[in-house]
Amino acid sequence: MFEFLFKYPLSIYRQGTFIFLAGWPLWLMGLGILAAAGVLGFLIWRQTSGSARMGVVRQGSVWILQTALAALLFFLLWHPALSVSALKPQQNIVAVVIDDSTSMTTNDENSTRKEAAEKVLNGGLLKALQEKFQVRLYKMSDHAERIDKLEQLTAGATATHIGESLKQVAADASSLPIGAMILLSDGADNTGGVDLETLSEIRRQRIPVHTIGLGRETMSHDVEISNVDVAARALPESRLGATVSFHQHGYTGQKAKIILKEGSKVVASQDVTLKAEGTEQVETVLFNAGDAGVKTLEAAIEPFPNEENARNNRVTRLVNVDPRKPRILYLEGEPRWEFKFLKRAVEDDKTLDVASILRTAPNKLYRQGVCRPGDTAHPQVNGKCNEMEDGFPSKIEDLFAFDGLIFGSVDAPYLTKNQQDMVKQFVDRRGGGVLFLGGKDSLSDGGWAKSAAADILPTTLPDRKNTYSFVGADVELTPAGQDSLITRIEEDPAKNVERWKKLPYIRTFQDPGDPKLGAVVLANFVPHEGGGVKRPLLVTMNYGRGRSAIFATGGSWRWQMLQPLADMSHEMFYRQLLRWVVGDTPRHITGSTPKSLLADESHVKLRAEVRDKTYLPASDAIVEAHITGEGAQQETVNMVPEPLEQGVYGADWTAPQAGSYIVEVVAKRGTEEIGRDTFTFRREDGIAENFHVEQNRELLEKLSAETGGSYYKPADAQKLGKDINYSQAGITVRETRDLWDMPAIFLLFLGIRAGEWLLRRRWGVI
Amino acid sequence: MRLRAAVFLILGGLGTWGILHAQKPFLSYESTEEHAEAALPPDWERQAEWTRGRLKYTSSTWEHPNGQNTGRYGWRTDYPLGDRHTLQGLMRLTRVDAKSVEQVVELDNSSDIYNWPFLYGVEVGHWSLNDEEADQLRDYLLRGGFFMTDDFHGTQEWDVFMEGMRKVFPRRPVTDIDNKDEIFHVIYDIDQRSRIPGAQFIYSGIPWEFDGFEPKFRAIYDDKGRIMVGICHNVDMGDAIEWSDDPRYPENYASLAYRVSANYVMYDLTH
Repeated sequence: MFEFLFKYPLSIYRQGTFIFLAGWPLWLMGLGILAAAGVLGFLIWRQTSGSARMGVVRQGSVWILQTALAALLFFLLWHPALSVSALKPQQNIVAVVIDDSTSMTTNDENSTRKEAAEKVLNGGLLKALQEKFQVRLYKMSDHAERIDKLEQLTAGATATHIGESLKQVAADASSLPIGAMILLSDGADNTGGVDLETLSEIRRQRIPVHTIGLGRETMSHDVEISNVDVAARALPESRLGATVSFHQHGYTGQKAKIILKEGSKVVASQDVTLKAEGTEQVETVLFNAGDAGVKTLEAAIEPFPNEENARNNRVTRLVNVDPRKPRILYLEGEPRWEFKFLKRAVEDDKTLDVASILRTAPNKLYRQGVCRPGDTAHPQVNGKCNEMEDGFPSKIEDLFAFDGLIFGSVDAPYLTKNQQDMVKQFVDRRGGGVLFLGGKDSLSDGGWAKSAAADILPTTLPDRKNTYSFVGADVELTPAGQDSLITRIEEDPAKNVERWKKLPYIRTFQDPGDPKLGAVVLANFVPHEGGGVKRPLLVTMNYGRGRSAIFATGGSWRWQMLQPLADMSHEMFYRQLLRWVVGDTPRHITGSTPKSLLADESHVKLRAEVRDKTYLPASDAIVEAHITGEGAQQETVNMVPEPLEQGVYGADWTAPQAGSYIVEVVAKRGTEEIGRDTFTFRREDGIAENFHVEQNRELLEKLSAETGGSYYKPADAQKLGKDINYSQAGITVRETRDLWDMPAIFLLFLGIRAGEWLLRRRWGVI
Repeated sequence: MRLRAAVFLILGGLGTWGILHAQKPFLSYESTEEHAEAALPPDWERQAEWTRGRLKYTSSTWEHPNGQNTGRYGWRTDYPLGDRHTLQGLMRLTRVDAKSVEQVVELDNSSDIYNWPFLYGVEVGHWSLNDEEADQLRDYLLRGGFFMTDDFHGTQEWDVFMEGMRKVFPRRPVTDIDNKDEIFHVIYDIDQRSRIPGAQFIYSGIPWEFDGFEPKFRAIYDDKGRIMVGICHNVDMGDAIEWSDDPRYPENYASLAYRVSANYVMYDLTH
């Protein structure tokens, strides 16, 4: 229709420049139109003034229509035309890039995408192109490769990198007269799209990329896992959540099963009801991290019998279960049952080591879980055995030897200003976790609001005393608490909420004030008295490199004493809370990689954050990464400081083959070792093409629009034979195309005249 | 004031304590010993983190062949003055936030006893536990409760006590507590544990009762090696503390009783 009305295809208008061939100045056209408007206005006024049927509005309408007609005539007199840059026949090259990845084997109704591409090319397009241009064929995978004939296509490549491939073809244009590119693909790019750098590179060379989209834009029956989010590191036996994101077509309302496997062993499973078509659904499956070691977890959704692509139903992730045993220092200001039962709750947790200092009498301390002479259970810390003989550590390296802190019913002034500041630095700089419990000497009543550590508290403490009260109260999870692993004492989220409602009431509560910005309230306290006004009970917050929490009661011990012996809710709660406190506490060196799973990729970026004894960034360290592959081959890579991040070192490495790799990062200062850390990554080949197999039309349209090309469906692809003639790349010639004789102008002329006639007829003034 | 009424008095506080539905209010019972009577302290309603549960049990009908029967008072022996002195002593000597009054609890199959994880039983050589009570006491101890016994003497009272304890723990051994055990060191190092006679020592000068010549500090341990039943046999710390403000009672015995009591409480709160 466009071409019928406007004489030429839209692509010519996009490529071309509008010009007037008459050569007369444009101001003259404007003057002519104004003069015509004046004369017409005068004539209309003279002829119709005094006529009862022609009022001012009607006169104006006639005047506008006649002036428009005069303007159109002036426009045609100036000889409008398009100046387009057209490819010179037989002197230009057209690059035809055909997706050769395995996603092209996907069967869409009657044929595969590879067959559809061949059908488009062999159906006349290739011949039409060859009549005017030299045609170069490329097959595309993670790079572009020249081929001589279509038979060389295999649809066997394990990855699609559109940007990289087009960049490579565009690079040929620097030495060859490539006038246009035609990309036949489903747009299933494994790198997530075409980057801006590639787009600007193609734009710079003015090569239009015409895209022909292959494959269905939505599958009719498919479930696809789009992501699985799981912690890269964990403590042994800790409870983890794998957040599985997926979407589906054709199975709305049906039941599916998410299965987590470690090798062949099922570690967790969860039944889910599939949500609306195409909606991203997120489900969290809990599992136990198990013993120390590197775990390869596979998250899968059981395929349906008629599912079109079952290969996108499983995703692999690595979890490094760290054998470390974080140490927590619990300072308690008064002997009380919460102290006893908290320690009992976590004593069987082999991954937590709780040392405690209890003020038993005004001038007496009772230390537990610390190194004492003759004690082999607790090693020396910083070369000393009478650990914390004088109470809470007063040296920063002694305090920073711990991973977490708990403050019970202890007032802030019991610590010196320096110690209070060390507690703040423990969170901010060390990256440790601190838990504050409610108590008669805790929080506001203990003067913590005015302490040097006040900033790390997740709430703004009330500016008053007597905030600790003996009030019976139930505990209610907030929405955040319902999702949190800290408060998950039942596997099933709904049962968990009910379980919390049925816990014995807590007997003491301390008003912790209002949560700070960024703090998360996981549980509220619902008192039996005072109208049941809820107040925050369990609040967490990240601060600096670490984290803090308030559990505003000293009365959770009743969950142990007032429930059956076999009930483990009290134990589970405190274990999960303390694991949260210390789980992410870093050591002196932390190694990592942005992607622990390389899907059909080989390049890996290694990163190490190095801190000295007092956890200040160490920028003068020598850092090496020792990488061990599956075949036990080992390679040492020197890591270099990152320019903009103090104490951060990086390196690039290429994984030579598929498999798991263990990286041990070692940092030294001279001959003294600062620390070492181990992390893992895995390269997997042949999986990327299993995902995003639906046609990514958005990407293809964007690519063509950004480069001056057009997107075509296979059925319309033959039009390309004509559209492709116009390009600013390659060897071109300027052509001028008249516009005065296009049907649209004729129709406009008729339309104006007909409009006036119809109006006059309606008014009865013909 | 001597309370002769056979009924117990429910003293105030119901408005507050009653809200805590599973926790019974403070109850005051008639003392059965004139010396042990005590008025309620002015701050008896003050809530605190800790108090001692006094076990109310059914006394057996058993009597000593010689006619002596210190068990005639049963669970109320030294009550309430002994408890009040103990609580005052703890507040003075330690940082335990203790109530000024004890809490009488029963093995009555209600959940009340679980609110009081430290339990003191006196004259347990005269108790009579039925199977249901034994079951509840076992459950209480395994959940984390602590049971301290005191003021029973000689072989025959031991046998009666053990008859009850065997219902609670048929197979757990009763062992003498090693001197190195933390229970003797948690606050005070109590390496020398002399006799702690009852008040009868003031009149008789005899520091033992029946054939209980040697003080015995024994225990039943849980599976993790923690004491859950601290058995003080052939000693009378209840009397020693109750009579500690009487100049006729030797100070050294009273002091030792305070120290042992403080250590037992502190041991429970730390293990």
